Amino acid sequence: MKVWEIGKRNLKEIYRNPVLLGFLLGMPLAFMLVFCSAVGGEHASPISMSIVDEDRNQTSSAFISCLESIPAIELSEPIYNEESQAKKDMENGRIPFYLLIPSGFEEAKQAQRPINLELAYKEADPMIGLRVKPIIEAVGSEFLGMAPPLNVELKGTESKIKSEAVNFYFPGIAVFGLMILIATGAEIIAGDREKGFLARMLTTPARPWDFILGYSLPFIPVLIISTLIYLGVGMAMGLTIVGNLGHAFLIFFLIGLCSIGIAMIVGTLLKSESQAGVCWIFIVPMAMISGAWFSVEGMPSAIKSVAGALPFIHAIDGSRAVINGSSFSVIMPDLYWLVGWAVVLFAAGIVLFRRTMVS
Amino acid sequence: MDAVQTFKLTKEFNGLVAVNGVDLGIKKGELFSLLGPNGAGKTTTIKMLCCLLKPTKGTASILGYDVAKAPFKVKKLIGVSPQDTVLSERLNCWENLSLIGKVHGMSSNEAKGRSKELLETMGLMERSKDQVRKFSGGMKRRLSIAMALVHDPELLFLDEPTLGLDPQARRAVWEYIAGLKGRKTILLTTHYMEEADSLSDRIGIIDEGRVVALGTSEELKADFLKTRNMVISAENLTAEVMEDLQSKYSGVDEIDGGLKISHKDLDFKETVDYLHSRGVTVYSAALEQPTLEDVFIQITGKRLRD
Repeated sequence: MKVWEIGKRNLKEIYRNPVLLGFLLGMPLAFMLVFCSAVGGEHASPISMSIVDEDRNQTSSAFISCLESIPAIELSEPIYNEESQAKKDMENGRIPFYLLIPSGFEEAKQAQRPINLELAYKEADPMIGLRVKPIIEAVGSEFLGMAPPLNVELKGTESKIKSEAVNFYFPGIAVFGLMILIATGAEIIAGDREKGFLARMLTTPARPWDFILGYSLPFIPVLIISTLIYLGVGMAMGLTIVGNLGHAFLIFFLIGLCSIGIAMIVGTLLKSESQAGVCWIFIVPMAMISGAWFSVEGMPSAIKSVAGALPFIHAIDGSRAVINGSSFSVIMPDLYWLVGWAVVLFAAGIVLFRRTMVS
Repeated sequence: MDAVQTFKLTKEFNGLVAVNGVDLGIKKGELFSLLGPNGAGKTTTIKMLCCLLKPTKGTASILGYDVAKAPFKVKKLIGVSPQDTVLSERLNCWENLSLIGKVHGMSSNEAKGRSKELLETMGLMERSKDQVRKFSGGMKRRLSIAMALVHDPELLFLDEPTLGLDPQARRAVWEYIAGLKGRKTILLTTHYMEEADSLSDRIGIIDEGRVVALGTSEELKADFLKTRNMVISAENLTAEVMEDLQSKYSGVDEIDGGLKISHKDLDFKETVDYLHSRGVTVYSAALEQPTLEDVFIQITGKRLRD
């Protein structure tokens, strides 16, 4: 098996190179330790809040508009009509908390009766309720003219997630770690090409597929080990996997394949001295606009569109959803993107490699 | 059937002609050297024959297979030791040899047996389990040649196999190549005239992409060197004598302790007698044997390292 022989050689080149291996595994690990230790469960501001409007009338809409005007709060779409859906999304990690405007809100306002608003959050993140409650009370009192007494009840919902911050940062850093495969993979291919080793191998009867797979397969154990290390460290730092671990693994595997595909293209096209710079110019901004370290919600729509067309944001969103409890059907669109990109990148890699074989 | 046959083989890079209509025929079992200054087109020619570059025009066949039409068949028959000693640096000798052997379809046992034989021949057995990045240039070169031979190819391309080696290592490689003569067809490119002169059955001189001379070393010397060189160790060489000699002969150079005369149909006795007649004390005089380098300079107007 020519593929196996080429693959075995490349695997040895990786694991016998401590600098490369250390960089490949160590850098995302350092990121994870720093991020997860630094954030300590705090949420970034403005606070993203969801609303359940059970009353659905002009008064409740006016109150929502009033809340929307507060800079400290960012209202999430959609406005729920029923609490059950909001509760489900909160459990799945799609939303951090919600404010319930009960039915009879308008009536109570007009009748000057006491009004009870409910602020539902996960018990794992109690700070959110305490931070938002005074804001709601202030806005509510102003909106209602202080006449009827306003009670904002805090309702902590039991959550399986131990640390929201760790669950937020883990998928981003893990995907960023797998993006490093782009730089390391490209370095090996470009290095072999420039030093002439690839040319020597091209004088053998190996076929393009042998090379493509021979250069890709060694990264798969690296990919699996990296993912396992990230998961292990993540769990030690407080990561809670509510959903299916296998689904999360599948997403990481697919984004790893995409990274290897990009590595093949970069390594085939660029010289080793320039590929490192090009890779990092690509990796870091991609990680940023894909939500690896912070939410993409507040970003300009053009940047969101660019990020949405690339695979990384789908890997981060999908893995975040799965880890926080989403089912397979929820992540299906993300999986389509990832599989599609993996196929496109590998096909492009083969075409370019064929061109390299005979110039 | 020739082992290598090219017809008007041409390669252009963006309008620049690197190889220009090369016609070559190398017989089976022959050791053929391709000589030429840097940029003459030697490596480009070899790359086309190894299926690494597509010819722009013309054809080339290796043991009957066209390099453009049947590259994978050609690749099964050839072994290549490139100009740069390209090895997998973090693999040891066994692993490097096994990689090439197995990619050529050898079984583990076959590759192991052949590797053992080559490592012993190349004197690498003692360090065979060390990663090759720790090797000297000479050791790497020997391993590179072994990698070209591991699958027992019918045709061997050795592109500058002794480049950068110290004289001792170079001699060891020459001995090994000489040992392969007759058993393999070898196409060798080299900068070392002595290497080509002593090893080759035939030599082709390539310059500016064209084969400008072809033949055995003796044929080339006989065909191209009509000029004879005479080195004379002498005293009392006056300016008048030198002027007189320069008017008589085409090349007269003063050298340390004497002079060197180059001239077509130079007569040894007549020259020595003339010097005696002019009061010059002649200690010794000798006609130089022509070298391949003289032929090369004569043909290309360049030294090989130009």
